[in-house]
Amino acid sequence: MSKKSWALVALLVLIGSLMLVACTGGTETVVEVTRVVTETEVVEQEPEVVEVTRVVETDPEEVEVTRVVEVEVDPNAEEEASRTGGWLDTIVIVQEPDSNSAVARLEAGDLHMYADDIAGEAAIQAMESDAIQTRTQYGLFDELLFNLATCQDEAQFNPFVNQTIRVAMNYAIDRNYVAQELYNGMAVPKFTTIAEASADRARFAAEIRAIEAQNAYNLETAREIITAEMEAMGATLENDVWTFNGEPIVLQFLIRSEDTRLAIGGYIATQLEELGFTVERVERTSGELSPIWNAGDPTLCEWHLYTGAWSQTQIDRGSESAFEQYYTNRVLPWPLWALYAPVPELDEASRKIYNNDFASIEERTELIRTALTLSEEYATRNWITSRTTLVPFRNEVSVTTDLAAGVSGTALWSKTIRFADEVGGSMNIGLPSVFTEPWNPIAGSNWVFDQMVLRGISDLGIYTDPNTGVGILGRVERAEMTVREGYPMSVQSDWVTLAFEPEVVVPDDAWAGWDATNQVFLTAADVFTETQTALVKSTVYYPADLFSTVTWHDGSPMSVADFIIPMITAFDLGDPASAYYDEALVPGRDSFVASFKAVRIASTDPLVIETWTDVGALDAENAVQSWWPAAAYDFSDAAWHNMALMLRGEGNGGFAFTADKAAANEIEQTNLIAGPSLDVLAGELISATEESFIPYAPTLGEYITAEDAAARYTNLAEFARRYGHYMISTGPYFLSGVFPVEGQAVLTHYAAHPDLASRFAGFAAPASPVVEIDGPARVTIGEEAAFDVFVDVFDGPYPMDDIEAINYLVFDATGALVAQGAAEGVEDGVWQVVLGSDVTGALAEGSNRLDIVAVSKLVAIPTLASYEFVTAP
Amino acid sequence: MATVTGDFNINAEVDVESIEATARKARTQSLVRLLRYTLLKLVALVVTVAIGVYITIFVANMGGEVDNIRMATIRENVALTATADPVFRAMATEERIAYINDRVELEAKRYGLDRPFILRSFEYLRDAMTLNLGYAQQLTSDSGSRMVRNIILERLPSTLVLFGTANLLLFFIALFAGLSLSRRYGSFADKAVLAMAPTSSAPPWFYGIFLILIFAALLGVLPFGGMVGAPPPDNPLDYALSLLQHMILPVSAWLLSAIFLTTYNWRTFFLIYASEDYVEMAKAKGLPDGMIERRYILRPTLPNIITSFALTLITLWTGAIITETVFNWPGIGQLYARAIGAFDTPVIVANVVIYAYLLALTVFLLDFIYALVDPRVRVGGGGPKQ
Repeated sequence: MSKKSWALVALLVLIGSLMLVACTGGTETVVEVTRVVTETEVVEQEPEVVEVTRVVETDPEEVEVTRVVEVEVDPNAEEEASRTGGWLDTIVIVQEPDSNSAVARLEAGDLHMYADDIAGEAAIQAMESDAIQTRTQYGLFDELLFNLATCQDEAQFNPFVNQTIRVAMNYAIDRNYVAQELYNGMAVPKFTTIAEASADRARFAAEIRAIEAQNAYNLETAREIITAEMEAMGATLENDVWTFNGEPIVLQFLIRSEDTRLAIGGYIATQLEELGFTVERVERTSGELSPIWNAGDPTLCEWHLYTGAWSQTQIDRGSESAFEQYYTNRVLPWPLWALYAPVPELDEASRKIYNNDFASIEERTELIRTALTLSEEYATRNWITSRTTLVPFRNEVSVTTDLAAGVSGTALWSKTIRFADEVGGSMNIGLPSVFTEPWNPIAGSNWVFDQMVLRGISDLGIYTDPNTGVGILGRVERAEMTVREGYPMSVQSDWVTLAFEPEVVVPDDAWAGWDATNQVFLTAADVFTETQTALVKSTVYYPADLFSTVTWHDGSPMSVADFIIPMITAFDLGDPASAYYDEALVPGRDSFVASFKAVRIASTDPLVIETWTDVGALDAENAVQSWWPAAAYDFSDAAWHNMALMLRGEGNGGFAFTADKAAANEIEQTNLIAGPSLDVLAGELISATEESFIPYAPTLGEYITAEDAAARYTNLAEFARRYGHYMISTGPYFLSGVFPVEGQAVLTHYAAHPDLASRFAGFAAPASPVVEIDGPARVTIGEEAAFDVFVDVFDGPYPMDDIEAINYLVFDATGALVAQGAAEGVEDGVWQVVLGSDVTGALAEGSNRLDIVAVSKLVAIPTLASYEFVTAP
Repeated sequence: MATVTGDFNINAEVDVESIEATARKARTQSLVRLLRYTLLKLVALVVTVAIGVYITIFVANMGGEVDNIRMATIRENVALTATADPVFRAMATEERIAYINDRVELEAKRYGLDRPFILRSFEYLRDAMTLNLGYAQQLTSDSGSRMVRNIILERLPSTLVLFGTANLLLFFIALFAGLSLSRRYGSFADKAVLAMAPTSSAPPWFYGIFLILIFAALLGVLPFGGMVGAPPPDNPLDYALSLLQHMILPVSAWLLSAIFLTTYNWRTFFLIYASEDYVEMAKAKGLPDGMIERRYILRPTLPNIITSFALTLITLWTGAIITETVFNWPGIGQLYARAIGAFDTPVIVANVVIYAYLLALTVFLLDFIYALVDPRVRVGGGGPKQ
């Protein structure tokens, strides 16, 4: 019997039982009325039995009948409203490397969520399952990379040195075929460098749509252009095979063999053969091909084409790298890139976009339009598809996922994950790998799987909106940004104020450097001979009750020293004069110093931190420097006291933060959670307790007393005794179990967390618009035509205030863009597109298409919808 | 001095000294022969191990090509990591290139790519032969240690418990079933085993997938995989029970895939001995079956059984890559596969050299064990006693 049948039987039994209970207990008696309950009353108390009065109107006399009924009261309501920390009691992270197996386990209820993105067969199985829901994410996109070098050997012929041929290759690739057939619908066609999960995808939807129409698949067009260009270059088509100097032109096509790119490469190779090229398919793995395309000399012409792919780990707010990285030689120091020589207009536009070197958003819009067009003409690569992958979880689970980075990439996952109708409970989450590499804040594991667990136990000063990529309030209360005039920063949220000044001056008393010998900060006056200016000044305000409400997982209240110690390590660890010097940290320190200007603790309680830096962002929310420890360190959270133990261990040669130093000295890499590091940490904890050790005492001694130190070490010792590790943070769950060999991590609800569990409930699901178009199927040429556009969200109309724009594009029968504009709002969820007589008059007879691009303020990715209509006289 | 001429004379005078001297000489010769044999055998084995390990080093590094792969990968990863950093954008072009080159240089140094492969290959060999396993290049142990010793030792217990159980069960069940069937030649059970023997052409993981589908996905009575339940029980007894529960499917898959063929092999092997004249004689004398099996069949086959058993034991070291993967079992096999994929030479070499040493030691000791269990065999004699 199937699960459905069992469920049906169970339901029937349940209904029968209820009816039986109702029949036996439903005797109406006349009793004294104690309470009247109406249908709409909301009961927020413990389950109880109440008596309901029903007034039965009979003629000629009125009889009052009271019936005893049980009122269903939600037992979770009170806890739902008052619960702090995470919703769940326990989260068990379980290693499950195989996505197909993970889906089977999800269906069986053995797992509740698989926190990695899945594709292929596993994704299809998940979508077909009644027990599983899925959330789509973008983040990986495919390209056909051209070797555009002129070959050293003149006897060799490289057609892709020709820009026109590279552009024409767009017509030879049916991206819809790749997306629908090779990816089984788990990808969307991609024609431009703008990422699918980016704010600019919505801003430039019309331009992108126009390029898509322009570069649509047409093999004959490709053949026509390529033939003309090849002949102009001296090649000859003999028996449908391109030759040069009497020899067939053989294209070395490097095809990645690990994923769907194998099929994509095969398909494009076939298309090239159809065009007359002889193709040698070199199907190998990443590691095997990298020395050829990435490190090899492209002028040797050992390869011509490569099936590349790029990943995106967060929603792209500014597309800064979209052109500079792919069309110029200024970002990536690879041999092929060294040959990139775009036209000056593209070169200039790319540089300005990369450096945010423009005075207004309008100027930026023009720059991107220019770059979009010219980059398509330069065609260092043809973009093929944006892959969509799924995050699968059971129906009863509710969780936040990031549009670009899935569930593992958003710090909000642990703040929102829950059973939809239950408070508490234990949830099993599958991950491909658990405890992949050592955990430490300076150079620990950067694996997404480890980082997911770390994000799960951490808080942040500022989170990232998983749907738009804009910073949202975490522990920070508010912020002020002062920016040099002319820099195009803007603000959307009310927690940041933005001001512009002609000069952002760094004050002399701010900390601008570090004296590693004396372990004291150097002021700007010490470091600089002249008064310094910065691009931005960020002032971050923490709430007045921060230090009384926020505690580390060992129970230690947070303090200002927790914020200052990462400021010190950023300078100190890469300084040769430091006792903890590590050569491998020098480049990181240098890059930090290159843009950092100064920092100042304006107030210790409430905590206010001012930062001057040359690093900006288009969104003010994303430029705020919080100095929250989990964000200030690159790889994990740390309090000053467990950092103190790590520093002692580093200084005593017990272990090293970086794998480089560990390897050079033949010692272990610092690991807070398991392995030989634990013995070192335990030893250092004893010593530190005995000495009431304060790290960087000349500086931190002003913020930490010996009593504070003793209390913290005592707390940490007790925590380590209970849970067997030293990884503490401030999030809604703490790491209570580390099982490295078994591949499991246990996170337990942290009751002392100050936030309500419901704080981020609004981010549980992306408010993506759902668009439907209605209108005439037949339009008379030269007459006005109106189309209704229905925009919904979560089964209701999309509020107009949350819609950025509803844009439309009209394409004629040839696929040419003939009109575009903005729809007019009628009411919430209803918009209208009116095509004037001038627009329809310009359309020829035949089938046309109306495209709608719905851009929400709440979600970065626009929704596209199309409507076909016929024009006739 | 006694002379023995013709007829045997029990009262003849014996030259005891001469006999003792001869015996001493024989013992000395035996000892010398034994020592020489032992020495030569050890040298031969060590040389064989060294050659095997060096070939492994050479192959694992593709004759040095891995250096190019690793260098290109480092360049790629360093650059891509850098581009994701907003600070990187604030740098001038020259600073960016210098930054990436510095990081690449550091990484290359960490992997030893600043020295030629041929030099490093002999260092690997020296370290391996002296069992100085050192530090892994990329892998870490489950608990984050980079020491190869820790990486292997952490995975060893789980491998031993699973494959030890499976292999010992397989060995003894097949051995005794084979022995029993050899005495019931032509019976239904014998024919059934014969008929089922081809099922061993499918590997354990093949059966594993079916077992998971049936008992985990469909019936939901046994776990999909892993070593223990989630979360791992605190109580040692509960932990052990959970471990046992998680072993049921992989052990069953292991047994299913090999039990019939192994039983068939043993049955055929014993069948040869069971038809020997002295066995027939024993049967004719009316000795009980048990005694015949123990004294007349098992005893002369002991060297073969011990050899098979010893090789079974050391095979545990290698785990089973795909079976461990299917059952998500944290064993040596998976570790080995990861090390190969990551070109982590120290871990690959450590696995190989330990196995090689175990194999060499087993081969070495087996010669002596044969001599102990079978009086016809003598060490270094090249054949049965005259």
